[in-house]
Amino acid sequence: MMEALIAFLTVFTQPELLLLVGLGTFAGVYVGAIPGLSVTMAVSILISFTFAWDVYPAISLMIGIYMGGVYGGSRTAILLNIPGAPSAIATALDGYPMAKRGEAGTAIGVTTVMSFLGGFLGIGVLALAAPMVSDFALKFQPRDYMLLAILGILLVGSLSSGSLLKGIFAGALGIAVGAVGRDPLTFTKRFTFDLQIMEGGISFIAVMIGMFGVSEALLQLHHVGQPAIRQKISRIVPSLATVKKHLPLSLQTSSIGVIIGALPGTGGDIAALMAYDHAKRVTKDPEREFGDGAMEGLVAPETANNAAVGGAFIPMMTLGIPGDAVTAIMIGALFIHGLNPGPMLMIDKPDMFWFIVGALVMANIFMLIFGLTGIKLFTKIVEMPRAVLIPLIMLLSIVGAYAVNNSINDVYWMLGFGFFGYFMRHYGYPLGPVILGVILSRLLDENWRRAIISEREDLGRFFEGIVTSPLSLVLFIAVILIFVSQTPLWGWAKARVLGEQKVAPK
Amino acid sequence: MKHLILGAVSALVLGAGAAIASDYPTKEIQGIIQWGAGGSTDTVMRSVTPHAEKVLGGTVVMQNMTGAVGAIALNHVAGSAADGYTLLMGAENPMLYKIMGLGDKDYGEFEPISILARGTPVLVAGPDAPFDDYAGMMDYIKANPGELRMGATGPGGLPSVITAMINTVEGELDVIAVPYDGDGPALTALQGGAIDVMPAVLGAAIEGIRAGKMKPLAIFDVAPNAKLPDAPIVTSFNAGYETFLPWGPFFGVFTPKGTPADVSAKLGDAYGQAVQNPEFLELMDNRGFTVMGISGDEAQAFLSKWQQGTAWLLHDAGLTKTSPEEFGIARPGE
Repeated sequence: MMEALIAFLTVFTQPELLLLVGLGTFAGVYVGAIPGLSVTMAVSILISFTFAWDVYPAISLMIGIYMGGVYGGSRTAILLNIPGAPSAIATALDGYPMAKRGEAGTAIGVTTVMSFLGGFLGIGVLALAAPMVSDFALKFQPRDYMLLAILGILLVGSLSSGSLLKGIFAGALGIAVGAVGRDPLTFTKRFTFDLQIMEGGISFIAVMIGMFGVSEALLQLHHVGQPAIRQKISRIVPSLATVKKHLPLSLQTSSIGVIIGALPGTGGDIAALMAYDHAKRVTKDPEREFGDGAMEGLVAPETANNAAVGGAFIPMMTLGIPGDAVTAIMIGALFIHGLNPGPMLMIDKPDMFWFIVGALVMANIFMLIFGLTGIKLFTKIVEMPRAVLIPLIMLLSIVGAYAVNNSINDVYWMLGFGFFGYFMRHYGYPLGPVILGVILSRLLDENWRRAIISEREDLGRFFEGIVTSPLSLVLFIAVILIFVSQTPLWGWAKARVLGEQKVAPK
Repeated sequence: MKHLILGAVSALVLGAGAAIASDYPTKEIQGIIQWGAGGSTDTVMRSVTPHAEKVLGGTVVMQNMTGAVGAIALNHVAGSAADGYTLLMGAENPMLYKIMGLGDKDYGEFEPISILARGTPVLVAGPDAPFDDYAGMMDYIKANPGELRMGATGPGGLPSVITAMINTVEGELDVIAVPYDGDGPALTALQGGAIDVMPAVLGAAIEGIRAGKMKPLAIFDVAPNAKLPDAPIVTSFNAGYETFLPWGPFFGVFTPKGTPADVSAKLGDAYGQAVQNPEFLELMDNRGFTVMGISGDEAQAFLSKWQQGTAWLLHDAGLTKTSPEEFGIARPGE
């Protein structure tokens, strides 16, 4: 126990490590804020860069970047309506309307404090219950991942303001876009039209940057002459009452974050979207409508995506299995530094586990500090005249799209989806469901096929599997309930059963 | 003015001199890694290259270029100048692109700089599998036809080759092949019970085996492995495997064909020395990889032999899109 404590405190007692975590977090916030510059990329560059270092400093820097980067994505989401990272897509839905009203300071403040809270809960679960959670995560069978993906697709309802039909169309389009390229299981070409550039598929980051960045810039061209909104930044740190009010919700959404983060194959992006949907469902009367700048719409995704960081480390530390793309690279880094990541790591080198927990705690604290300072400077971005801002958004979008794979094709895709997204917005089609579809396309497709192949392509056996496994059954019932609750049938049944004559206006 | 001209002339001479290999490298070398960050190809390349840089006295900037099972990276390097400044860092599977219909280029467009290391395949089962070794698995399949779930990673991957080998030696097995993105996700599924057995490279499974989370059923080699001396070798169950073994995936560094011979030699020497670095040797040993470090004709011969054996094995198992004959790949022994 004593050794665990010493290992945990390593990072706090060595100024060099402290500095590296701080530096990493600072860099992470800015890397995260720029669309296209991803944490995954930054960490993989760091592997080569820190090759000759000792393992502790190298890991400290990576953890800092990871924590800061997940948070940083919210900055541009709030200020410009361009999520800096996929896990900040949901943040833009309510963050940007707040910035449009001149409340960017408040939005960033709440986001920072809530990210900090979510981050801590994730780390707490990692420190106290890692083996338990990883055993649970391992229990997920292909059919459970499939049900999870269906659950995710039902979020289309939450993400489409306005017409549900248009939302469904957008979601279906996203799923089709996600299926383009060589099928990852059999390498058969799908939707490639025998074109070389289609074979590698369409980078979903490029779609995201185009849909949010370029289409936003084009939309802003409509009001190029209008003066920018003045931001009031009187109160950045949210009051204790505000934090208290959202505490129950943030605990729920953090739990969603930890579990989704711990599942191999799903990460902060899906966690944040699911948390947003959860918030929309449980919040009875928000001060403002969701999509119009509801505080809950910021709290939910931001707690969840930072809680997913701790979650992602759970299978990595206990089993050597990555919880997401970043932890996959960190496993490689541990290996290069002469450690053997796997189920034995916790037993052979428990100090490594406690060191990582310590570094995460420190990174989380730094994130709070860097998050709450420098907001004035950041909000200046939105106060810039549009004639400067719009070219800047275009530039960032192009650089970001190119940087994903160093490929000019991604830039073309990005621009194409940008123009397309502009017209979609123009005709009232929501963009969120498109991204949701692209993210979930592979999860759904692969796991449905795995599940049905595992049952010898026998639907009877497949459903038998669902009803006999408690986990699958719970997910299946959740899917049915959520689906039914989104149909008119629900209101009708409710009225019949409860005897209410009036169906609440939606 | 005179000085300027003199300077320009000397700069020109120096510039021309740069093309001579004795000065190589005069600028940064690009290393294109065919697979994603954190994978085995990535970790091998990132851990060996710093040692090679020291010998070369230059910098190798490594970059992951993923997509289309590595074909995007391969095509990129094949299309770049053959000057030794763009290296392809890849694994074995491009040798099967043509016959699998995944692309029209393979390592035939390249010169091997160094074949760094090779892996040993192992057949592992989940901890709850009702059998403990290869023979037990065979009995189980006979008793329960069509019930055993075996992990796969798509055509041309290691599991497909091992499965083809088993089918050739033992006759067609009645099992369910469940496809995964790679051996990492498949081994995760194995531990969660979604699949029962999985052919994988020893390096990916060794930590799971050490922790008792997976059972090694058989090592696919002709001699026991030093890392797992107690695990039985597959030839002890059926001598028929001797025709195909030893076989294994490998990692190598390549340059486009036509690279100046002295540049290739210098690179080959650098990587040849790098693999002998004690740190790298220990790293490879921990993961159960066999270090090779061969270059030049030796590497070429290794590649041809590997391609012949594997291509025809897959073809005879009916897994290929096009016959190896079409691409001039001769049957082994012909």
